[in-house]
Amino acid sequence: MAPSGIWWRVAWRNLWRNPHRTWIMASGLAFGYFASVLLVGLTSGMNAELVENGTRLMVGQVQVHADDYLPERNVHATIGGPDGTDVDALLTALEADPGVTAATPRLFGGGLLSSGPLTNAALLLGVDPRRETRVSTLLSTIVAGRLPEDGAFEVVVGAEMARQLEIDVGDEVVLVAPAADGSMGNDLYTVVGVFETGTPGIDANYAILPLSDLQLLMAMGPGRIHEVVTTVATPSEAVPGDQPRAPGLPAGPPPLDATPSTALRPQPAEAVALMHSMNFVIVLIIFSMAIFGVANTMLIGTFERRREFAVIRALGTTRSGVSLTVVYEGLILGGISLLIGAVVTGPVMAWWHRSPPDLGRWFEGFEWTGVQWRPILRVETSLEAPIFAAIALVVTALLSAFYPAWKATRVPPADALADR
Amino acid sequence: MRGTGGIQRTGRRAGATAAVPRVALLLALGALLAPTPAHGQTAREILDRVDRLLRGDSSRGRVTMEIVTEHWSRSLEMEVWSLGTDHSLVRVESPPREAGTSTLKAGQEVWNYLPRVDRTIKVPPAMMMGSWMGSHFTNDDLVKESSIVDDYDFEIVFDGERDGVVIWEFRLDPKPEAPVVWGEVRYDVRQSDLMPLDVRYYDESGELVRTMTFSDYREMGGRLVPARMDVVPTDEPNERTTLVYHELEFDVGLDASFFSLRNLRARR
Repeated sequence: MAPSGIWWRVAWRNLWRNPHRTWIMASGLAFGYFASVLLVGLTSGMNAELVENGTRLMVGQVQVHADDYLPERNVHATIGGPDGTDVDALLTALEADPGVTAATPRLFGGGLLSSGPLTNAALLLGVDPRRETRVSTLLSTIVAGRLPEDGAFEVVVGAEMARQLEIDVGDEVVLVAPAADGSMGNDLYTVVGVFETGTPGIDANYAILPLSDLQLLMAMGPGRIHEVVTTVATPSEAVPGDQPRAPGLPAGPPPLDATPSTALRPQPAEAVALMHSMNFVIVLIIFSMAIFGVANTMLIGTFERRREFAVIRALGTTRSGVSLTVVYEGLILGGISLLIGAVVTGPVMAWWHRSPPDLGRWFEGFEWTGVQWRPILRVETSLEAPIFAAIALVVTALLSAFYPAWKATRVPPADALADR
Repeated sequence: MRGTGGIQRTGRRAGATAAVPRVALLLALGALLAPTPAHGQTAREILDRVDRLLRGDSSRGRVTMEIVTEHWSRSLEMEVWSLGTDHSLVRVESPPREAGTSTLKAGQEVWNYLPRVDRTIKVPPAMMMGSWMGSHFTNDDLVKESSIVDDYDFEIVFDGERDGVVIWEFRLDPKPEAPVVWGEVRYDVRQSDLMPLDVRYYDESGELVRTMTFSDYREMGGRLVPARMDVVPTDEPNERTTLVYHELEFDVGLDASFFSLRNLRARR
């Protein structure tokens, strides 16, 4: 039996016997590779949008609380206990972690918001407006007026709350909240803005004011906050199955607890897991289709070479030698296709990831699954998808070669040589 | 309101004002029935009669409310007025920071007057289960008081000696259509002088939620009354709200016009 090197050479030569056909097959496989990586990238992009849209508005990606705050959300369970903590130092420590992109402190209170004869129950949210806008889009949804300023007794309210209480920018409202000392905190505030997130639960219930003003209303010191919300560099990593990430969480007192958004809002994470499993199906479908095309073309190629196979069989070549050369042909074809695919796919994905097409000219943003969606076709890249698609491509080329290889070994030398 | 960052505690707390009519009802139960033994009457008849006799009966008093919670303790001096079960007015006298803060109950509505901002605020329906001044009463306690006879079926479930005292135990079952948060309420009443001993509130799964205990029975305003009342939430046994009456007088000549929004603000 001839050394296997010769069968590689034969395979290579056979491929270029009809370069057009080879280029077409390689292009088909390369396109399948490109399509797989792109489609997986697009679903990953949708997943990232889903996670980020759900967290961008308010939840953030990782929330830090006192370890006894969740799930009760007791108003007294501030970070560092009743004495509070050094908020600036905590924020600095959190932001020192390279995984954390921004951090913002928050204080929650529940109470009443009253205007004239109308009164509603309200959720009071104390924020640092400057920091908050780096972490969430909540304050960027202001549709009238402006951000509240520190120490000026200013508040912004949800659009539905404003409608129910018949208030507008410039109106005076009373906020009443149970204070930390048991008294009933109450004061007059000016409505300086109205926000509309599109999420009914937020628009109807929330009133947002500067952190220090809410601390004053609730008779709490400047070190008392309920949570720090952070955005992290890789939010899409926070999917189920992953360990809850707690980047930058300072060790030692005060006892802190970090909760990823996937634990706070499990539904998007579950949707992501479902869509993730869909990637496998996408790649499977694309290459299953490719198998038939490539196998068919290779079958024609082997049929054209019936006489050649008959001659080498007649000269004593084993069946395995004949089939090997066809299988090698498939492998070389896979290698070429992969090379073309990678060369084309890499730059396209990089470009698409950096500047996703904005479909804003044709589509409006819309609210779905309780969150606001942007009209962009976003692509997320990963190592997993190209590797998986590469394996699928080579397997496809190999599988496509098996049937033609088997057929090649079945060529009866005498009949083929006699053109029968 | 749970999960909103802080006021879930108020779910089991609220209106000190609530205590006032409830005490009035129970005081009346004792005061009115003491001279005539109630034997032979059904529970419903006893309480029905109390309810009818209570209407039009006015009172005025001074009370100290002490609230002890896991996180803070405080004491409030208050002046209280009531007319039947439909009207009551409570005004905080001290501490100074909250002096003038008032609560008006008129029928099914509860209003707060806040002197700091000089505003009157109606407690919205969503906050009826909320706390007033951090006590262990809800605004709902106050409002439901006026309809207690309409909202519950009554039954004497125990008649005899317990812990050395001969008592009746009343069971109050909410009527199916009644807007009541409790699954069941139990009153213990001393038979000798018809003084209330304690009231226990159960939720719909039969769990004890809070206990109200009466003590320090003494003559005030010409009637024997329990001058002290303690409320303890079952899930926070170290917390309590205590009401102690220093003064109490009856038939003080108030009419419904006294319990107006104008008066709520005027009595600063």
